[in-house]
Amino acid sequence: MYLKIVNVTKIYPGFKLGPINLTLDHNQVLVLIGATGSGKSTLLNITTGLIKPDTGSIYVDDIDITRLPIESRKIGYLTQKPSLFPHMNVYKNIVFGLKKRVEKDLELKIRSLVEAFELAHLLDKSIDMLSGGEMQKVALARMLVLEPKIMLMDEPLAHLDNMTRIKLRMDLRRLLKEKKILGLYVTHFEDDVYALADSVAILKDGLIIKSDTLKTLLSLKNNNVSDIENPMYEVFQNDHNYLEGRVIESKQGLATFLAGEHKIEILGEFPIGSVVGIMIKPEDIILTLDMIKTSARNSMKLMIVKMENSVSDKIGVIDVQLASQSFLLRSKITVESKNYLRLKEGQIINAIFKATTPHVIRNEPMPYYDVKEEKNGGNILTNP
Amino acid sequence: MGDLLKLFNFKLLIYFVSALGLLYIVYPFTSIVIFIDIENTIKSIQRPELVDALVLSIVTASISTAIVILFGIPLAYFLSRYDFPGKSLLFIIVIIPLVLPPLASGALLLGVFNPNSGISNLFPEVDFTQSTIGIILAQTYVASPFMILTSMAAFGTIDRTLENIARILGKRNWQVFVQITLPLAKKGILIGIVMTWVRAIGELGATLMLAYNPHTLSIQIYEDNAIGGLSYAIPSIILSIILSMILVVVYTTLIKKFDTRNLSRSQVFNFDNIRRHD
Repeated sequence: MYLKIVNVTKIYPGFKLGPINLTLDHNQVLVLIGATGSGKSTLLNITTGLIKPDTGSIYVDDIDITRLPIESRKIGYLTQKPSLFPHMNVYKNIVFGLKKRVEKDLELKIRSLVEAFELAHLLDKSIDMLSGGEMQKVALARMLVLEPKIMLMDEPLAHLDNMTRIKLRMDLRRLLKEKKILGLYVTHFEDDVYALADSVAILKDGLIIKSDTLKTLLSLKNNNVSDIENPMYEVFQNDHNYLEGRVIESKQGLATFLAGEHKIEILGEFPIGSVVGIMIKPEDIILTLDMIKTSARNSMKLMIVKMENSVSDKIGVIDVQLASQSFLLRSKITVESKNYLRLKEGQIINAIFKATTPHVIRNEPMPYYDVKEEKNGGNILTNP
Repeated sequence: MGDLLKLFNFKLLIYFVSALGLLYIVYPFTSIVIFIDIENTIKSIQRPELVDALVLSIVTASISTAIVILFGIPLAYFLSRYDFPGKSLLFIIVIIPLVLPPLASGALLLGVFNPNSGISNLFPEVDFTQSTIGIILAQTYVASPFMILTSMAAFGTIDRTLENIARILGKRNWQVFVQITLPLAKKGILIGIVMTWVRAIGELGATLMLAYNPHTLSIQIYEDNAIGGLSYAIPSIILSIILSMILVVVYTTLIKKFDTRNLSRSQVFNFDNIRRHD
């Protein structure tokens, strides 16, 4: 199964999208990032058939679907608002796309979906009674019940509160993988990339300026000293720390995973051997000169590779880039702290943070790139 | 203090003007009390021609409303959903019967449907004038804008994403129309239906020109008044008042029912207050 977008263009007054060339295969999730107005939603709408491209074609498994009517494309689509049908209850919304008769085996599928999303007690409720997260779950169930092979998602979690978003996003990735659905996810939030992507495409002013696997982009991010050379910096100027690794210990609500040579402790219990990904805000990383006893569970010796005035913050804030052998960590400190500690580039320093600080945004049995590399040695993205 | 005085005066002014307006609407009803002769009224309200006129009005208005529904809703959908050159001109044409004096509409219809017209020659056995068909023609013509305008407004307020999602979920255009668009536009369409019916019941001008006979209730009031003055017309007026009362109750019930529902819905769908927490 693959989705191939070939030389697609669309011209509006004052804006041109494309030519876009993009291929997705091997059940991967591609996260398409770009600033507002970069053409992300237009590209999704062209793929669903809601907008006709000026030129170019879209293929699903060698079949040209460019001129196919919307209803025949069998592509799932999640919009920013859940767009549930207000005149139907939850159950009727979920089964809306099914043919008239709901067969027995289908009913089992519906039930398993409903249970997976914890919607069973809501089935006969009017949709006015649902929370934002429940609405988006119903919208997702409504698409998944049709068993699409491709799912397009236009920031479906943007309106949810942070905790709901993190939980639903992990469920979403797990479901896409379990059901072997190709995912194209549009966002302008950095954490969505780390939480969902196998690969990433960056759209700027209507053109894809970079597309690669998340692994490659992360290593670029970690090895690039210059922000400008970091492609993700184009979109997320205030970038967070993302660390991932295999869980080596998990007990009593505390798990330890290996990020490079460092052991990192986080809240939560995860299967040993599984991969977790965490996000930490730079302002949550504390720098100390000496090893001190604190309640913080994580302390690591890192080298200061760069210090500069923060671009995205107020005057008086310094961005500090710290490097280990395998990853880069950012910290934000005040000018006063920098002067007080007499920090210099090249200096070795302790970076500490609490086990309660990071958000776990990814947890899966294997690293995404291992899965990909086992199945497919080649490049899964083409960029003109 | 000065502001309070101003506010008080403003309130008083509103009360006064409203009272004048209400008086203007209610006062004509006193004529019924003045001119009514109860014994005579009870007797004449059972006049066969009066009962016939009432029944004819209800039946023709219902048929006319049904016809207007059949072509009005698709036309309203067409005007609200599709863009084409000359759309605004078409919109003006659609509302012409609303702004044209009904007598003028009747005259135009008579031009098309008179016994010597092309259409009459095409269907020689059909009486287009001085017949029930004539009444229906007049009613459908003058009442159609009510259906079309309210339906257009209703279609216009529907979130197009819902229709798009329905198509992505595998529904064809006509299925989306029946399963999503129509149910969501129900409020506007129902109000349009009631208004069309009310307009058809009250229709006089165009009917006078096209089909004076058989008499609808409006024509009956007109004729009774012409023959025997107001006191003679009172029974038919009372019948039309009763009919109007029923319609007003139906209309307000419908509006209330939908307004309370829509209120709760708009509260739920207001995403603007929800912000990301990071």
